[in-house]
Amino acid sequence: MTLPNLRGSVAWVFDEDDYDIDLIIGVRNIKITDVQELAALVMADRDPGFAATVRRGDLLVGGCNFGYGHPHYPAMRAMRHLGIAGVVAESFSPGFFRGEISMGFPLVSCPGILAQVQRGDEIEVDWTLGCVRHFGSGNTLPLQPLNAAEHQTLEAGGLIPYLKQRLARDAGASK
Amino acid sequence: MEILSNRIPQTMTEKILARASGQAFVRAGDEIEARPDFVISYDFPGYTDVFFREAREEFGVEKVDRPERFVLFIDHMVPAATPKEEELHKITRTWGAAQGVPVYERKGIGHQVSAELGYATPGAFVVHFDGHVSQLGAFGTYAFGARKGVLEAYVSPTLAMTVPPTVKIVITGTLQLGVMARDVFHHLVRVMGPSSCAFKAVELSGPVIDAMSIEGRQTVCGQAMFLGANTMLIAPDARTLAYTQGRAKLDLAPVYPDEDAVYERVVVVDVSDLQPIVVIPPSPANTRDLIDHLGLEVHSGYLGSCASGRLEDLRAAADVLRGRQVKPGFQLHVVPTSQTIMAQAAREGLIECLVEAGAFISSPTCDYCYGRIATMADGQRAVSTGTLNTPGRMGSVDSEIYICNAAVVAASAIEGRIADPRPYLSGAKP
Repeated sequence: MTLPNLRGSVAWVFDEDDYDIDLIIGVRNIKITDVQELAALVMADRDPGFAATVRRGDLLVGGCNFGYGHPHYPAMRAMRHLGIAGVVAESFSPGFFRGEISMGFPLVSCPGILAQVQRGDEIEVDWTLGCVRHFGSGNTLPLQPLNAAEHQTLEAGGLIPYLKQRLARDAGASK
Repeated sequence: MEILSNRIPQTMTEKILARASGQAFVRAGDEIEARPDFVISYDFPGYTDVFFREAREEFGVEKVDRPERFVLFIDHMVPAATPKEEELHKITRTWGAAQGVPVYERKGIGHQVSAELGYATPGAFVVHFDGHVSQLGAFGTYAFGARKGVLEAYVSPTLAMTVPPTVKIVITGTLQLGVMARDVFHHLVRVMGPSSCAFKAVELSGPVIDAMSIEGRQTVCGQAMFLGANTMLIAPDARTLAYTQGRAKLDLAPVYPDEDAVYERVVVVDVSDLQPIVVIPPSPANTRDLIDHLGLEVHSGYLGSCASGRLEDLRAAADVLRGRQVKPGFQLHVVPTSQTIMAQAAREGLIECLVEAGAFISSPTCDYCYGRIATMADGQRAVSTGTLNTPGRMGSVDSEIYICNAAVVAASAIEGRIADPRPYLSGAKP
C-alpha cells in the first residue's frame, strides 16, 4: 500500500530552527478547543491575512527540529482546518513528530528543503519514489522514509483506525 | 546447537527494549512491539479523559490489560480552581476505582512521586504521554513520552516503536561552587545542540554523574527532550540501588550497558570550567552564561517543577536566603516537588528559613509551571527553575522567563535583578 502524493503550494516557510509551534496560535490560546476560533488565530501575530491565503492541500515547510519545546495539538488542528495537508521540514522534534503522525497528519523529513523553496512554490511529496519534487526548479530531494507503524498510521488516517486494524490483525493471527 | 561465543553487545536501551519486546536482542532501527511494564499518566483534559472514553467506545476495552501496570496522578489543577477542573479529577478517580488502577493525588508531581513509589524500577520499560517522564532514567529505567500515542498502551498490551540509536554522553571534570545539575543539562544543550540527540536514547555516564545525587540525575534526565532525545538514562550504581531497594515495583535484574556496546556516537563533555547558566527566552535552546546577564531587572521567581524543586534545590535556596530578605515587591514562589520532599524540608528547617526570608511557599503542584498560575503582566520578567521559557508560559506573552538553577533564583530574589548566587553561598570564600 502506498500513501497518496501530497501536492500543493507552500503556504508558509518557517525558516527558523527549533521552531516552537505553539507560537502559531500563540501560547495564550492553546487552551481554546473550538477549531474555528483557533483557525482564525493562526499566524495572527505574523500575518493576519494568512488564513485567507491557504488553499486545501497546501503544505507548510519548516527548518531543523521543527516542533521543539512542548508542542501542543491546537496549532496543527487549526492548520488542518484551514486545509493544510502536511509539513515538510529539514527535521522534526520527536515529540511533535509522534504526536502529529498519531493524528494522521503527514510529516515529511526532507533535509535540504529549506534552501529549495519559497512561500507560494508548488511542491509534491512522492512517497512511492521517496522524494519531494519542486516544480519551479525541477529539482527533487530525497525524503526520509517512515517506519512501518508510522506509514500504516498515516494510511489508516490516524492512530485510532490504525490500532483497530492492528488489533484485528493480531486477533486474526492468534486464532 | 547454540553457539556460545555469539554474545551480542548491547546498550542499556537495547537490552531493556529487547526484554520488553520478548527478544534475545534488538538493534537500533529495529521496529518492535514492546510491552510497557508501567503506563503512567496524570489527568489532563484532552488526554486521560479522552483515553478513558476512546478505550471503551472505540475499542470496547472495559478493563485495561493488567491494571497493576497502570498508575494515575492528579498533580495538575491542584487544588482545583473551578468545578470543571474538579469534574475532571472525579472522572479520573472513578475510572481508577473501576479499573483497579491506583490514583495518587496531592502527593506531588507525578514524575517525582513515581520514583518515590518505585515505578522507577531499574531495567523497566515505562510509557507516559508526557516526555518529562524521562527522568525515571535516573534509576536506569527506560521511560519515554508518546504524547497521545500512549492511547495504544491503554488498548493494546504492546506499543509499536523503533529501537532508537543510543548516544553515549560522558561528563568529566568536577562541578564548581554554585553549579548545579540544572546547569549541567543546559550546558549539554549548548555544546551539543537542541536537536543533537533527536530520536535517540541518551546514556549518560562519567565521573560527574557518578558523583551526582539521585536528585541531580532526575533533573538532568527529565529534560532530555530539549536535546531532542526520546529519553535519557543512567546505569544503576550503589546509590541508585540503595534508593530503589525495597521500593522497586518489579523484581527485575538491573540492566547495564556492555563494555563493547555499539553507540551511534560517544560525546565527552568536560564541565570543569562550567559556570552557572541562564536560558534566555524564548526557547530552551538558548543557554548563555549567567555572568553575561547579571543585573537585568526581574519581578518574580519560581523555584519548583518536576525538573527542580527537590531537597538539594531547596537547600541551595535556603543557603542563599538564610538571614536575608527577598526584595520588597519581588514575588518568590517556592513549590517543593513532592509532599515527601516538603516534609523533609520542614524537618531540616528549610521551609522556616525560606518563609522568614519572604518566600511564598505552596504545596506541591504542577500549576506554577505550565501556565495555569500565570500572573506575569506585560513587560515583567521572571527567573525560573520551571521546565520551559516559552513566552506566555507564566502569564502575558509579553513577559519573559529566564531559566536558571535554584540558587540563582534565590539570589535574584534578594537583589530584584538577575544575580550571581556564589557570593551568598556558605561555601563561598570570604
